[in-house]
Amino acid sequence: MTASTDAAIVKLEDVHLSFGQTQVLKGIDLTINKGDAVSIIGPSGSGKSTILRCINALVTPQSGKITVAGTRVDQLTKESERIQLRKRVGIVFQQYNLFPHLTVLDNIVLAPIKILGADKTATVKLARELLEKVRLSEKADAYPGQLSGGQQQRVAIARALAMKPELVLFDEVTSALDPETVGEVLWVIRDLIRDGMTSILVTHEMRFAEEISDTVVFTENGRIVDHGSPQQIFHSTNNPRIRQFVGGLSGGGRGAVRDGEGI
Amino acid sequence: MQDMNLTGLFIDLMGRLGLNYEFLATGYEAQIWRDGFITTLYLVAVTIPVSLIVGLIFAACLTSGRLWLSAPVRGFVELTRNTPTLVQLMFSFLVLNTVVSNMVGGAQNNPLSPFFWVVAVVGLHVAALHAEAIRGGIEAVPSSMIEAARGMGFSQFEILRYVQIPLAFRSSLPAIVNGLISLVKSTTVGNAIAVSEITYASIMVWTQRDNVVEMMIVLLAFFSLINFVVARVGSWVERRLAIPGYGL
Repeated sequence: MTASTDAAIVKLEDVHLSFGQTQVLKGIDLTINKGDAVSIIGPSGSGKSTILRCINALVTPQSGKITVAGTRVDQLTKESERIQLRKRVGIVFQQYNLFPHLTVLDNIVLAPIKILGADKTATVKLARELLEKVRLSEKADAYPGQLSGGQQQRVAIARALAMKPELVLFDEVTSALDPETVGEVLWVIRDLIRDGMTSILVTHEMRFAEEISDTVVFTENGRIVDHGSPQQIFHSTNNPRIRQFVGGLSGGGRGAVRDGEGI
Repeated sequence: MQDMNLTGLFIDLMGRLGLNYEFLATGYEAQIWRDGFITTLYLVAVTIPVSLIVGLIFAACLTSGRLWLSAPVRGFVELTRNTPTLVQLMFSFLVLNTVVSNMVGGAQNNPLSPFFWVVAVVGLHVAALHAEAIRGGIEAVPSSMIEAARGMGFSQFEILRYVQIPLAFRSSLPAIVNGLISLVKSTTVGNAIAVSEITYASIMVWTQRDNVVEMMIVLLAFFSLINFVVARVGSWVERRLAIPGYGL
């Protein structure tokens, strides 16, 4: 985590960001290697989602260095440069945000064809493969409004993957789902991580984070309080705050059942 | 020959009902009247797309977040919404048209016809109404959906083109159809600057023939028919664009 190597695909150094008077990030240092799965956990309002938005250049910090896949994100001055970066970094949100007027298939192929200028036939073929991967082949011609939350979120993941991103950011992707459908989304993400996709997850699914992460990062109040292996953070941390947080969340049984739920 | 007989039969039949359609048997007045129908249909056919295209552009300007685009359009929308179309047409034809004539060295060189000014004034007037409706639809697209599109690398224009406008057009369609119905009726202001659309032609006929009621019956039926078609096409488009499983 601390050593800067060539394998680092994301590197944040002393990143400070505030919205107006509110300081959201107060010096974030984070290094993520290619192929790693990193979970960012911590209480609401601790800056987790903002870290993801910095990596994707959706927000620009006031100070600090951000390097993503060889690009100095903090030095991008033009919107067109940020757009180039966003095309390479996938992001999936809590609210799925599929385009309601397009079918599932069109949702997936729109950006690759219209934004990247990809070949139409090849993209449709890729989209069908991705739909198979997220187990929604039969829903290609359905509209988002006809799908459950879990199905919509799986389409959203397929849509992000259709851009062939170098890494994918997941921003509390199961938080808006009912408990029964959380499992099917986690299953897809787990698969993706096993395939070696660099993934950064902001999540409240502690069991899941523990299972799939190479590194777990605990944030609070705009700072990274601690980071380490899942074993360290969840079981052998000396930090009482992390213990309290982790214990408080996983003790309730939330997330315990759903990991096992397949489709 | 057959046609003449039919016309004669019609005039005779209407005469028995006490309705005077004798002008139909003349060459000149019947011709003006027939041309009036065509001119009105032509006006409607040209002005509807003008209003839609300009309305879309106005809405895009209003929601662009760029003051140099939104401020002039906002000014124009307010001015055109709050003043009578007839006054706008008079102003355009008597003032703007004269300015153009002077600039090109005389009215004989001015390519802008009264027909053009009706299309421009009515088209832009209704465009302002469309713009307000579409703007509402654009602003109703959730910011989280826009952020998701930005996150995928959509530019602001691409978000407008592929996400906001398709959704906004659907939600504003009922208002747009209302605007188009009002547009059809507004084309009659053309008679104020001697565009020989159907009301102008009808007035020409009834001042000679004193058959106001007869002409009115046809006028009202004609506009009712056009707007019936506009409304039906509108609801057809609405059904075509309906999104399964979505509230629009």
